[in-house]
Amino acid sequence: MASLLEVKGLIARASGFTILNNLDFNIEENELRVLLGPNGAGKTTLISMITGQFKPVAGSIHFAGRDITNWPPDDIFQAGISRKFQVPNMYETLSVFDNIMVSLQGRRRVFATLFQRLSSEERDRIWEILEFVELTDRASDPADSLSHGERQWLELGMLIASNPKLLLLDEPTTGMTEDGKRKTAELIRRIAKTHTVLLVEHDMHIVRQIGQRITVLHQGQTLADGPMSEVMNNEMVRRVYLGKGKFQ
Amino acid sequence: MAEAAARNHQAGESYELRKVAKRGTYRAPPFLPLWALIGGVAAVVLIGAYPYYGSNAYVLSLLGKFLCFAIFALSIDLIWGFAGILSLGQAVYFGIGAYFVALSLKINYALTHPTRYGGKFPDFMEWNGLTELPHFMTPLISTPFAIFCALLVPTLLGLLFGVITFKRHIYGVYCAVITLAESLILQELIIEYQAYTGGFNGITDYSNYATPGFLWFILAVVVIFLVIARALTHSRVGTVLKSIRDNDVRAEFMGYNVANYRIFVFCVSAFMAAAAGALYAAWVGIVSFLDAGPVFSIEGVIWTAVGGRGTLIGPFIGTFLVKGAEFFLSGALAFWWQIIVGGLFIFVVLVLRDGIVGSIGNWLRKRKKGASVRQMIEDSDQKAHDRQLDWSPGGPPSVDEPVR
Repeated sequence: MASLLEVKGLIARASGFTILNNLDFNIEENELRVLLGPNGAGKTTLISMITGQFKPVAGSIHFAGRDITNWPPDDIFQAGISRKFQVPNMYETLSVFDNIMVSLQGRRRVFATLFQRLSSEERDRIWEILEFVELTDRASDPADSLSHGERQWLELGMLIASNPKLLLLDEPTTGMTEDGKRKTAELIRRIAKTHTVLLVEHDMHIVRQIGQRITVLHQGQTLADGPMSEVMNNEMVRRVYLGKGKFQ
Repeated sequence: MAEAAARNHQAGESYELRKVAKRGTYRAPPFLPLWALIGGVAAVVLIGAYPYYGSNAYVLSLLGKFLCFAIFALSIDLIWGFAGILSLGQAVYFGIGAYFVALSLKINYALTHPTRYGGKFPDFMEWNGLTELPHFMTPLISTPFAIFCALLVPTLLGLLFGVITFKRHIYGVYCAVITLAESLILQELIIEYQAYTGGFNGITDYSNYATPGFLWFILAVVVIFLVIARALTHSRVGTVLKSIRDNDVRAEFMGYNVANYRIFVFCVSAFMAAAAGALYAAWVGIVSFLDAGPVFSIEGVIWTAVGGRGTLIGPFIGTFLVKGAEFFLSGALAFWWQIIVGGLFIFVVLVLRDGIVGSIGNWLRKRKKGASVRQMIEDSDQKAHDRQLDWSPGGPPSVDEPVR
């Protein structure tokens, strides 16, 4: 069976730099994949390419059997890919409840949403998600009154609400306390039971806690790919990372 | 946490299957709060009954005028306050609506009131060397058709504008500048083609409808538009629009076609502005190029900002306060008036960022939580500061610059 996501020969350039250099990358269904790499390896660019924010110079991206290269972001979302931004990114003045409501899976066209009412199933679903990300008590508060960690969880909740086939999580633990990071890692593990997840992460504690198949990017190419223990002992990976002291 | 997760894992339980143990309380705001109902009825009665308790024809004419201006401000609020599109050329739609109706009324007036040389067509056309009504204007003899055009043409123009800007991801400051240019162009066209538009003099001397009956008609339109605007902003489309206002990048990556939503609300807003213009032309009996120009557009923006953008009642309060003060004070302070209005705008931007209604709302909300006034001001400053950091010319920033 074909992979859920197939990236072939992807090349990305920006202001003269080659960010992704002929990159091949696959994700199977129901996989939890961790994407590692030093700064500038092209992790975020890869995610931006998949979600249609940037157009590749060459190469193709296939998702669930369809060629989604050069699709606009909203169509790629409709195909089943949701992304989490590095910085928490939600609707600040809307209430937490409305943030989830707007993200629910459903029709997205103007005239379809014009007369749509919130059904009781949708309402249950929102409470289910709020409970999952432990924001039930904050439902009526505007999103900009949340703390940094709570915002990250709210955005995770929004992603789950959209019920995608593939979740792209770009460093969801950035700027969190140790407790917050642990909680986020737990959330991700639970999400991964029912969804395919691609996680970009710097923090090795989190990577160890999640401990699945790892892909290491370096200078726009795949440096290593395999299970946790194998990649950790890879000579090349150690050399790339040692200067940064990440594996200590 | 980890233990609980391990238990879940052993039980093969996914979050999808978990029962919602605890439902929080979330009360969606009511469609029509009690205070709004009482205040609205009181305002409608107060204005609508003026012909019975007041005898001043000047005040009566002002009331009708203010209501038209308030609809205009509401149309700006709809796109600016609820969808984050700042238009400095909203008067284009107001002006086109007004000119269609004024032309039609003028043509009909000329049929029964021949010009000095006996021509049965508008006098300003004669002054400019035309010998008969231009053929393309003959359909405007039918006033219903003119009203139809007055509403449809601006809406289609709004659609066209939306397609050529929002579809190309132009918004924010660039969009504001384009709308400003749009109204400058229309103003120039009106002055240039004075044989058809009356040029600098505008269109005057036709039978207008400054009667109590027409005032009630304007009031009815105001109420209908307010209900429509409330239904729109209260619906799911309204929530999506607000989310686009807050963070259009996130909305786009949540599968919303941001451009289409912007175009939709822009068309609704253009329609309302056009209706306001049509009513205005019929009420005051004079339309000039100023009613389609950038100054009037920006005035509308100021009324909205003073009253409180993002609230539906704000534009009405802002219009009546600023415009009312102008009519009572501009006689005594004629020279200073423009400066005062400009100063007021700066004051609102610096201190009352959410306008009068928005600031009162914030104050009431925060007082419930026991915050002091000083704390509130500091919060407001902090928020403005944060937004300043987020500001970028093309609208909200894409947080996801390419990483190298």
